[in-house]
Amino acid sequence: MDFVLSQLSAFVGSLHALTTDPVTYVYLVCSVFLGIVFGALPGLTATLAVTILTGFFGNKFPLDQSLIALIGAYVGAIYGGSYPSILLNIPGTAASAATAMDGYPLARAGRGGEALGITTTASFLGTLFGTFCLLIFVWLLLLVSRNIASPEKALLALFGILLSGTLMSQDLVIKGWIAGLVGLAMAMVGLDPILSEERFTFGWSYLLSGFQIVPVLMGAFAVPQILEGMRPAAIRRFTGTIGRIVPRIGEVIRRGPGILRSGAIGTGIGALPGVGEDVAGWVSYGVAKSVSSDGDQFGKGSINGLIAAETANNAAIGGALIPLLVLGIPGSPPAAALLGALKINNVIPGPTIDPGLIVHIVAILVLASVTMFLMGLFTARIFVLVLRLPQTVFLPVVMVLTTIGSFSVGGGINDLFLMLGVGFVAFAMSIMKYPIAPLVIGVILGGLFDETLRRTLLISDGDLSVFLTRPGAAILLTLNLLLILSQVPGAKRVFRKVTGRRAIDEG
Amino acid sequence: MQTETFDRSTMRVRDFWTSIVLLAVSLFFLWRTSLLPFFKADAAGVESGRWYNSAALIPYGIFGCLLVLSFVLLVIALRDGAAARALASAGRIADHGEARRVVCLSVMLIAYICALVPRVDFTVSSALLIVALIWGFHENRGRAMLLATGLIALPACYALIANFEQASWTKPHDDDWVALATLLVMIAAMLRETAGRPDVRRVMRITPVVAILVPAFLTIAMAFGFRQNVPNRSGLLFSAIEYHYYVSLKPLFRGK
Repeated sequence: MDFVLSQLSAFVGSLHALTTDPVTYVYLVCSVFLGIVFGALPGLTATLAVTILTGFFGNKFPLDQSLIALIGAYVGAIYGGSYPSILLNIPGTAASAATAMDGYPLARAGRGGEALGITTTASFLGTLFGTFCLLIFVWLLLLVSRNIASPEKALLALFGILLSGTLMSQDLVIKGWIAGLVGLAMAMVGLDPILSEERFTFGWSYLLSGFQIVPVLMGAFAVPQILEGMRPAAIRRFTGTIGRIVPRIGEVIRRGPGILRSGAIGTGIGALPGVGEDVAGWVSYGVAKSVSSDGDQFGKGSINGLIAAETANNAAIGGALIPLLVLGIPGSPPAAALLGALKINNVIPGPTIDPGLIVHIVAILVLASVTMFLMGLFTARIFVLVLRLPQTVFLPVVMVLTTIGSFSVGGGINDLFLMLGVGFVAFAMSIMKYPIAPLVIGVILGGLFDETLRRTLLISDGDLSVFLTRPGAAILLTLNLLLILSQVPGAKRVFRKVTGRRAIDEG
Repeated sequence: MQTETFDRSTMRVRDFWTSIVLLAVSLFFLWRTSLLPFFKADAAGVESGRWYNSAALIPYGIFGCLLVLSFVLLVIALRDGAAARALASAGRIADHGEARRVVCLSVMLIAYICALVPRVDFTVSSALLIVALIWGFHENRGRAMLLATGLIALPACYALIANFEQASWTKPHDDDWVALATLLVMIAAMLRETAGRPDVRRVMRITPVVAILVPAFLTIAMAFGFRQNVPNRSGLLFSAIEYHYYVSLKPLFRGK
C-alpha cells in the first residue's frame, strides 16, 4: 500500500509540474490533434505519426517536450483510427479494424454520434487503465529486471522477434519469422558491439555505425504506404447525421465491467513484446463476443463490441510501454518508434532508467488521454471533415515530411538512401504478405541480441549450459522452443494426439 | 472462396520465387560471413578470438536459419504445385496497369531522393514531386502518369549528370533553375489538361499551392523553428530565405 501511495504522490508531483507549464498545453493540443488526423486518414498510421515527429523533434529539443509530442501523437492516432472505421467502414489504422465491425452498423442506423461518443470515452478509459497498470507493474517488473542479465536479455529479445513474427503474420507463420530474421540481419551491419569487427559494410563508411533506427522506421512504414496508397480511390463521404456525441454517464457506468475487462486484455497483450494494438483490439473483441449476453448482436451494431475493441487498443499503449521502459523491448510498432526517439535523446530504457522519467511518462499519458477525450467529444466534427481529404493529395505531403524528418535526425543524404532502400524492400515484403513489424523489431533488438548472447558465452567461456542453469533463462528458452514447436506440423500433430487422448480419458 | 483459392495459389507462386531469392541471399551472406574470423582470430598481435565471441557467430545463426526457412518456404510452394504455375507464367506480367503504376512511382521516388534532394533546392524539388504525384495518380490515367514521371525524371537526370560528384552537391548551380522551369511547365500542363473537367479541377487548382507552400513552410519550420538540419542549404529559395532571415528579419526582431 505504501508503495502505491508513494507512486501516486510522485505521479501527482510530475502532473503538477506539467500542468503548470503553459508549453505543455501547446505541445499536447498540437500533437494530439496531429495524431488524430493521422489516425483518421486511412493509409497513415500511429507508427508513422510517432516516427515523423521523432524526425522533427530529434535530439535538439528538451526530452520533456519531445515526449509530450510523441506520446500525444501516439494516443491521438490510435484513437483517431476509429473515425473512418465508424463513419466509412474503412479502418484508419490496423488497431481500429475491429471497431468497424460494430461502429459502421451503428452509424448506418443513424447512431454515428453515439458510437463516436462511446468510442471516445472507451479510448479515454482504456488509456487511463493501461497507464495505471504501467504505473504499478513497471516497478514490480523493474525489481524483477534487476535479476535479468545477458542470457535472459538475449532470449527475451529473441522471444519478442519470434512472438511478433508469429502473431503478425497474415499468411504463413514462417513469413513472420523470415521478416524477423531479415530485421536481425540488417542489425548486423556495421561494427560489431564486442570486438568492433567490420560486418557487411561493403567498404561504405556510412554503414560502419549500422542502420539508423529512424530512417529504417520511416522506410518500413511510410514508403510502402505511399507506393500502395497512390492510386485513385473513390472518396467516400459520410452522408448520414451524427447527432449527440457526448455520452450519458449512466450508460458509461453500466458498461464499466466490459471496459475493465477490455482494458485488462489490452494492457496484457500490449505488454507482449512486438505485439501491437491491432491484436489487442481483435482479442478483446473476440473475448467480449463470447462472454457478453448480447454476443449474437456483435457485428450488427453492438455497443459492447465497440467498447471492447476501442478500450483494448488504447489500453495497449500503456501495456506496450511496460517492456519498453523495463527492458528496452518495445511492446508495439509505435513503441518501437518511441524507443528510437528515446535512444537519439541518449535515454537507454531498461533496469537503469531514471525512475523519475517513468513517472513523467505516466503523467504525460494521462494528460494526452484527457486532451484526446476533450478533443474527441467537442471537436469531432472537425475530424469528420478531415475524412474528405483524398489520399492522393495527403500521401505526397507525407513523403516530403518523411524525407525532411529522416534527413534531419542524423546522417543526412545517406539516411535518405537507406530509407528508400528499406522502403522498397518493405513494399516487396508487404506484397508477398510478410509482416513489417517483426522486421522493425528485429532491427531494433538485433544489436541487443547480438551483444547479450555473445557476452553470455564470453563470460561462461562458451558453456551453453548457462541457458539452462539460470531459472529465468531456462523459462525463456522453454518459451522460445515452445513457440517454434507450436508451428511445426509434426509437433502440432503430437500435441493434438496428446490433448485428444486426454479429452477421451476425461470423457 | 474462389478468390481465396486464387489468392492462395498466386501467393504460393510468389513464394516460390521469393524462396529462391532468399536462398540465394542467405547463401551469399553466409559466404560473406565466412570472411569474418570465426574459430581463430588475432587482435593486435594477440590470439584472442574464440568461436563464441566471434563477430561471425550471430550472422552464421541468422543466415543459417534464413536458409532453412527459405527451404521450408520452397517446399510449401512446391507441394502446392507452384513451380509448374510459376514456370508457365514466367515473363508474363499479370496486371500491366499495376506494374506501370509501381514502376512510375518508383522512378519518381528514386529521382526525388537520389538525384533532386541532394542537389536541388528542397522546396523546388519537393514541389516537383508533389505536383507529379497528384497529377499522375489522382486519376487512373496512363498518359498523365507517364508525363508526370518524365517531367520529374528530366531535371533529375540533368542534376545527376551535371553535378554527379558529392563535392558539388551543396554548391549553388543551374540545376535549381532547370527544376524550377520544369515545375512551372508541369503545373501549366496539368492545369491545361484538366481545365475542362469539373470533377478534378478543384484538386488540380489547389495542387500548386499545396506543392509550394507545404515544403516551404516545412523547411522554414525545420531550420528556424525546430533548429534541425535541412537538405541543400545553398539551394535557390532556401539560401534567399536564410539570407533574409539573418540579414533582414533577425535585426528587425532585435530592434536594430
